[in-house]
Amino acid sequence: MSKTNDDSLTAEERARVTSTRRFDLRRILGGLFVLYGLVVTVIGILNAASDSRQTGGIAINLWAGLAMLALGILFFVWDHFAPVPEDDILRSLERNDEEKKEGEGR
Amino acid sequence: MFLAAAVDNSIRLNLSWVDYLMLVVYFAVVIGIGFVARTRVKTSMDFFLSGRSMPAWITGLAFVSANLGATEILGMAANGAQIGMSTLHYYLIGAVPAMVFLGLVLMPFYYGSKVRSVPEFMLRRFGKPSHIANSIAFAISSVLIAGINLYAMAIVIEAMLGWPQWIAIVVSGGFVLVYITLGGLSSAIYNEVMQFFVIVAGLVPLTIVGLNRVHGWGGLVDALQKTEGAKLLSTWQGTAVGNVTNPIGADWLAIVFGLGFVLSFGYWTTNFTEVQRAFSAKNMSAARRTPLIGAFPKLFIPFIVVVPGLIAAATIGNQLSATAGPGKLTYNDVIPKLMQMYLPTGVLGIAVTGLLASFMAGMAANVSSFNTVFSYDIWQRYIKKDRPDEYYLKTGRWVTVAGVLIGILTAFIAAQAANIMTYLQTLFSFFNAPLFGVFILGLVWKRMTPVAAFVSYLAGILAPTIVYIAYLNNNKLFQTATAETLYGAIISFATVVVIGVAISMFTTPKPVSELTGLVYGVGKVDLTKDVVAGDTKWYRSPALLGTAALVLCVALYLPFI
Repeated sequence: MSKTNDDSLTAEERARVTSTRRFDLRRILGGLFVLYGLVVTVIGILNAASDSRQTGGIAINLWAGLAMLALGILFFVWDHFAPVPEDDILRSLERNDEEKKEGEGR
Repeated sequence: MFLAAAVDNSIRLNLSWVDYLMLVVYFAVVIGIGFVARTRVKTSMDFFLSGRSMPAWITGLAFVSANLGATEILGMAANGAQIGMSTLHYYLIGAVPAMVFLGLVLMPFYYGSKVRSVPEFMLRRFGKPSHIANSIAFAISSVLIAGINLYAMAIVIEAMLGWPQWIAIVVSGGFVLVYITLGGLSSAIYNEVMQFFVIVAGLVPLTIVGLNRVHGWGGLVDALQKTEGAKLLSTWQGTAVGNVTNPIGADWLAIVFGLGFVLSFGYWTTNFTEVQRAFSAKNMSAARRTPLIGAFPKLFIPFIVVVPGLIAAATIGNQLSATAGPGKLTYNDVIPKLMQMYLPTGVLGIAVTGLLASFMAGMAANVSSFNTVFSYDIWQRYIKKDRPDEYYLKTGRWVTVAGVLIGILTAFIAAQAANIMTYLQTLFSFFNAPLFGVFILGLVWKRMTPVAAFVSYLAGILAPTIVYIAYLNNNKLFQTATAETLYGAIISFATVVVIGVAISMFTTPKPVSELTGLVYGVGKVDLTKDVVAGDTKWYRSPALLGTAALVLCVALYLPFI
């Protein structure tokens, strides 16, 4: 039973799909690393001279900041192009009763 | 001027408000995840096993990250500074073959039998006495380890940030308490994956700057060869039987069988704290790929953990001592010390955040496996049976609270240990090695009886305990504490096999009809029943992933033979 278009979903199912995708770890990681990347990059620009003195000539904040920014964006891109399949989400919704039984050890 | 000339042995970091901002942002996200995850926990299975819904990349990274606690990172960097490249053994032969074995061979039995914990597998295969022993041993050891982690963290936080130990213990215990009680295993796993990326983002700059400071890899090798540190650059030299000159103090037999076979297989395949991550995977294919995906980061982590250890040996080696004391710099301090020397504000905040996050993730991993075993295997099985699911969900939350409180208590009374890693491994060798012995016998030999399992499991815990006590009384028995751990594990495993086989000969085995899906060759485990679109892509083949990991495991040794 593969449900591919949105019309065949009930309101509850659609809500579950939306909430699961909003809570996708890739979005959280993306947000965290974009923020870290921006902050560290700015520090790298502001403190260029003192950074270079401590690291022996490597603009470490600049490079690390840009790398983290790229990583964060990569997570968003991955999430955008490969969202969690609806089937996966709906199956775990359907399994609720089964899971209760499993939890009771049956 | 006089003060400035003295050697600076403190590891106090000079954090600016930006660094603290990184820390605050991270832990705000952690708590946020806890609250969102709470709205999604409907059943006890959601709480204890994430409702078996996680994709393989998440469970795979959580699998390796649950092991990548800060005690592990600091301990392995310490080993890097002390015994050098030999530390690679812990990452390669001491991890990868076991992870591949778990994914390819053992996981079909675990996931296919739908057990909710490793002790429950013991129950199915060998019955109640072994199950009770295993559940209690696991529950006690995981809370103890949680407490040891917490204590280790408090020492480092005090030294790095200047917070009193008790504040560090209570605050981080409190964070773990909140996010695990709210979101259960899902919270734990999400945080493990985040922690993985943050700690890597902190350690990579540290390694790059460190290597730059010693004029690259070539400069590092030159510097080490000029001091007596040349033996720090090889892994297998001086491991001949009877002529042991390597820094581990063990021959290749002990390394291959003690570390590579017994300790490693015991830890990676029967330690529920690890295996639980795979149990939360969404289907059989994802469960099998969990340890295989985890193997790849494991292969490369030494290059950002052990290499900084070597850099420390080359630059500040003469200041490092093996024992702690006021004003002394110990091997366990090398990562914080290098952070202080090399990382400017900005990346410093990332590295500190990663370190604190991995301390908490390590503790959370132990607590989230403890609450599952205690609730399902002890409480539900023997104390309050046949209650509705909501009851066990509530129990799980209370057990989490109790687990964290006991952990905090343990942290306060945790005794000092010369080397945190050796102490942890001593515990592992007492609990995991015999469990692995019993499991592997039971898996390949359907004649193995429940009585034999019970007796040999207990004997397998007792034997290394006796060896350990003997070693404590006479430390000439083994060259190093690590060597003692390796031989202790081998002795434990051998005890299990001998006693298990002997007792099986004259006791009754379980009828074959009850062993379907629990013993190799009895019945068949369906590997494709729950397969979803995409699982069949060639790059998701467990056999291919496992082979690639093993090939890399051999290849990464080659430059450091």
